[in-house]
Amino acid sequence: MSNEETAQEDSASAEVRVGNELGLHARPAARLAKEAQRFACDISLVVDGQEVDAKSILDILTLAASPGCTMTIRAKGSDAPLAVRSISELFSSRFGEEK
Amino acid sequence: MARKVLTGIPVSSGIAIGKAFFMNRRLYGSIPRQSIAAHLVPGEQARLCQALAQAADELETARAQVPAELREHSLIIDSHATIMRDPKLRDSACGFIERMRINAEWALLKAVKDLEDKFAAIEDEYIRQRIQDVRLVADRVQSKLMGLARELREIEGRIILMAHDLAPADTVGLEVDKIMAFTTAEGGKTSHTGILARSLQIPSLVGVQELEDEVRDGQLVIIDALKGRILVEPGEDEILEYSLLQNQFELYQKAIIRNCHLPAETIDGYRVQVLANIELFEEVAAVQDLGGEGVGLYRTEYSYMNRMTLPDEEELTREYVGLASSLAPGKVVFRTLDLGADKVVSQLGAIDERNPALGLRSIRFCLQHKELFKAQIRAILRASVAGNVAMMYPMISGLRELREANKVLNIARHELRAEGVPFNEEMPVGIMVELPSAVMTAELLAKETDFFSIGTNDLIQYSLGIDRTNKNVSYLYQPLHPAILRSIKHVVDAAHQSGIEVSLCGEVAADPFCVPILMGMQIDSLSMNPQAIPGIKRIIRQTTMAECKDLLRRVLECRTVNKINKLVMDTIFQRFPEELTFFSSLIESEDLI
Repeated sequence: MSNEETAQEDSASAEVRVGNELGLHARPAARLAKEAQRFACDISLVVDGQEVDAKSILDILTLAASPGCTMTIRAKGSDAPLAVRSISELFSSRFGEEK
Repeated sequence: MARKVLTGIPVSSGIAIGKAFFMNRRLYGSIPRQSIAAHLVPGEQARLCQALAQAADELETARAQVPAELREHSLIIDSHATIMRDPKLRDSACGFIERMRINAEWALLKAVKDLEDKFAAIEDEYIRQRIQDVRLVADRVQSKLMGLARELREIEGRIILMAHDLAPADTVGLEVDKIMAFTTAEGGKTSHTGILARSLQIPSLVGVQELEDEVRDGQLVIIDALKGRILVEPGEDEILEYSLLQNQFELYQKAIIRNCHLPAETIDGYRVQVLANIELFEEVAAVQDLGGEGVGLYRTEYSYMNRMTLPDEEELTREYVGLASSLAPGKVVFRTLDLGADKVVSQLGAIDERNPALGLRSIRFCLQHKELFKAQIRAILRASVAGNVAMMYPMISGLRELREANKVLNIARHELRAEGVPFNEEMPVGIMVELPSAVMTAELLAKETDFFSIGTNDLIQYSLGIDRTNKNVSYLYQPLHPAILRSIKHVVDAAHQSGIEVSLCGEVAADPFCVPILMGMQIDSLSMNPQAIPGIKRIIRQTTMAECKDLLRRVLECRTVNKINKLVMDTIFQRFPEELTFFSSLIESEDLI
């Protein structure tokens, strides 16, 4: 995962890589959506120009992101930098999965 | 006369008479579409949001009660709750309410339809299948919206529980004292409902297709989980008849269970081992309570299914050691993974097969995934010091496959020796005989293996060339077909000539009509579902080897299956009239092994 966070006043973004062996399947998707829902800002995930709502497990699933795939986390709103940081951490910890 | 008779698959035997209570129903098709006035839009949106939130709250409460060993269940429940709280789903449905001026139920249906299209385009098989979770979630919310979700808690007295399907979340904290019987429209023998009902010893029928169309709440029904029937609004004569039968059955059950720990020995002193077929650790208690001398078939597939990752060797070892030590000194025979490529967790990559029954499955699949196979064998070997353990390969077609499988076994043994991990060097390793090619080469196979276990369910299908789940040909599924009886006899004789033991673990082992014939062939052990053990032991204890041999001789003289059926019926009718009353449907009722 590269962690070049770019933060302006109330927007932030970061590049992340899907590190867990199975990609963004149901369990990580659920964790990701729940984490995103804790923040007030709008958060989206962008893969190959496709942008989805990070607070929606269904949106995340439809990305069908496979292992090794890279994506951009984008957030807009007062707590955007914090949101991007904590979601990046979820990716780097592989959503708490062993592999 | 009953207004209607429905049929289903009995998964736990018995009879119950009582009032129907639906816990949930399939909702597609019966959802009302209503137009609403503009000023009602906000209220309708609020109603939807409330139903979603309530349903999610309920699931989260249920999840907190799931015991730790059912972690997979709680993860499923968790992802369902997250879907209920999904802002996209909520906004999409609320958008439909506003734009189309429709009721919440219809709007939710539309939102799910949209998602179905999106998911259908996903390539990843596993993720595409998650639409099933969305549908389950939607069903739950719909029943909330329509005021259908019913709590058993609110009911007084005992009922017959009915449902479209019972998910793990539905059965958490269920008040079992109130339930006389279970029945569901979905499901098979190994469904969650079946396992639950068997462990509670409550009569149960699953796969009752017309259940939701034909039965309404509060209607009087008779559940006949001996013959696999439901009588809707029975007549007085039927109620009387079934009350008597229920009484008789309970007395019979008590009587056979009282004696189920006595050895399975004929009057003239021929001893057979009676073992159980199981697939869950939870079933061990039933095996022991019902007089099973051990486990003749442990189906190892459960740990590989309905999950995202393959189990590793450590996890399997824990499972197998637990089983072996609980059953010791009784034996346990582990059948190595017997799955079709289509059923193994999706990470190995699903393949499309035109004819999976004749495709890459079972031992063939394992021999193509040797690391997976070896990990399982290592786990079984490691468990071999914890009890009386044996292993067998399924679906062996001939010597070449047997030798190839044994090669993997030898590598596993070699590795464990090198690592200093203890295992039983003498652990018996046998094969299942379930293909006609294995029957024909039984003499050759017997020289290179420690035991045979005849899997009659597959043997019958492959020998007679029929798929018995195919309604058009299922009438040809005939365990007493002369070809099947000759095949079994051939295998038993070949085993005994080489001095190895032979067991039978298909459902004919639990069939009172077949057991005396198998005894006549001098089969060494019979392995069956635990519930059948007391009844089969009783038959064995009341018969003599001399009469079994005589029956076998007469059966082998018959030229057609009809003749054989009649001969066997007459014999059983004279010798074991009770079995005829209670078990005459067993031939059709058990699932495929």
